[in-house]
Amino acid sequence: MKIAVSAEGPYLESEVGQRFGTSKYFVIVDKETMSFESMPNPGASSASGSGVQAIVLVIGKKVDTVLTGYCSPTAMGHLTKNGIKIVTGVDGNVYEAVAKYKKSELKNITEVGHKPDSWTGENNRTALAGAFKSSVRQFVNLLPTLAGVVLLIGLLNALMSKELLSLVFSGDAVFDTIWGACFGSIFAGNPVNSYVIGGELLEYGVSLFAVTAVIVAWVTVGLVQIPAEISALGRKFAVVRNIVSFFMAIAVAGVTVLVFNFIRW
Amino acid sequence: MNKKKSKKIPWKKRAIRLILFPVLILMVYGFLFTVMPEKAIAAFKSSGRIFLNIIIPLGFVFILLVVFNLFLNPAHIVKFFGKKSGIKGIMLSSAAGIISMGPVYAWYPLLRELREKGAANSLMAIFINSRAVKPFLLPVMISYFGLRYVIVLTVVTMTGTIVAGYITGVLSRD
Repeated sequence: MKIAVSAEGPYLESEVGQRFGTSKYFVIVDKETMSFESMPNPGASSASGSGVQAIVLVIGKKVDTVLTGYCSPTAMGHLTKNGIKIVTGVDGNVYEAVAKYKKSELKNITEVGHKPDSWTGENNRTALAGAFKSSVRQFVNLLPTLAGVVLLIGLLNALMSKELLSLVFSGDAVFDTIWGACFGSIFAGNPVNSYVIGGELLEYGVSLFAVTAVIVAWVTVGLVQIPAEISALGRKFAVVRNIVSFFMAIAVAGVTVLVFNFIRW
Repeated sequence: MNKKKSKKIPWKKRAIRLILFPVLILMVYGFLFTVMPEKAIAAFKSSGRIFLNIIIPLGFVFILLVVFNLFLNPAHIVKFFGKKSGIKGIMLSSAAGIISMGPVYAWYPLLRELREKGAANSLMAIFINSRAVKPFLLPVMISYFGLRYVIVLTVVTMTGTIVAGYITGVLSRD
C-alpha cells in the first residue's frame, strides 16, 4: 500500500507540506516496508496549473492514500474519484505522519467515493473563481512576450524592406517552406506569437506554405527545449521526435495549402 | 528515485524574466528614437496597428481560457492516458495533447512517468505534437488567417501528428 505525503523536502525526516498543491515534494512511502521514493512536485515551481499537476502526479503514482496539511475541495474530489483516500490536518515530519496513520491516530480522513458537493452554489462559485484566477495567470504570462513580439514586428516593419525579407523568402514555395520550418523550429513559446508573426509575413507577401510551416514547427519542433526534452524523455526519443516533426511541419504545410486552395472553388 | 531538485522560482524573478524581452525591445525603441525619431514613430504606429488587430480576438481567448479551465484539467488527461490500446490510445493521446494547456516543459514530468510505466513512444510523440492544435487560441488564428484555413490546418495537423507519432515510435524503438 502506497502513501503519498506532501513534504517540504525529499526525505522521511522532511516536514509535512501544509498545502497539497504547492508542497515542494511528495514522499511516497510503502506502508508495510517503509521504503520510500520522493518526487519533486511539478506544481510547486510552475507558474500555471499548480495543484492540478500534483493531482496528476499522485494519481499517476497509483498511491492509495495522501497525507497532507490542507487539500482543496476540488483536488479532493479528483483524488477520491480516482480511488485515493485523503487525510488532512497532518503535521510533523513524514515518518511520524505515516507512523501515526498506521496506528490510526489521524482523524480527518476523506474516504474514497466522497463527492464534493459540486452542485451547490458556493462550490460553483469557487470553481468559477478558480478557473478565472488560473486564466488570468495564464493570460498575464502570455502578454509580455506577445507585447515584445508585436513591438519587434513594428520595428522590423519600419526598418526592414520587402527586398531584405525576400533575400530569405525568395518566393520559391519549396525553399520558403523549408526556411519557414527552420524559423519555427528555433523559436518556441506560446503559439499565439507565431500567428502574429505569420500574419505579418503574409502581408509582406511571404507564401502561405512558408507561414504554415512556421506555425506548425513553432510548437512541434523546439530546439530551445531539446535539452529539457532529452533529460525527461531520453536522447533518442527527443532527437527522433524533433527531426520527424520538422519534416511533418513541411508536409503539413504543403498539404494544408494545397487543400486550402483546392476547396476554394 | 527522482532526485531532481525542485526549481521554485520566486515570483519576482519570474516577473523579471517575463518582462525582460519586451523591455529589451523598448530599449531598442529608445535608442532608435534618438537616432532616427521618424522611424521609431513609424515602428510604434505599426505595433499599435497590430495590437488593435489582435485585441478583440485576445478577449475571446480569455473567455475560452476560463471555459477550458473550468471544465477541463490535467486530471482528465491522466484518464485519457489510462487506456492506451490501438486506435483508442491514438485518439485519446491526441485529444489529451489538444486540451493540455501551459508550456510543454510543465508536462515533461508526467510524460516521463507515463513512459516509465510503458506508455508507447508513439503516443508520447502524438501528445507533444498535438499541442500544435490550440482550441483557446482559435480566435486569434481565425482573425489572421480566416476560418477555412484554420479548419484545414487543424484537420491536416491532427492527421500529420498521428503519422509523425507513428514514425517517431518506430524510429525511436530501443
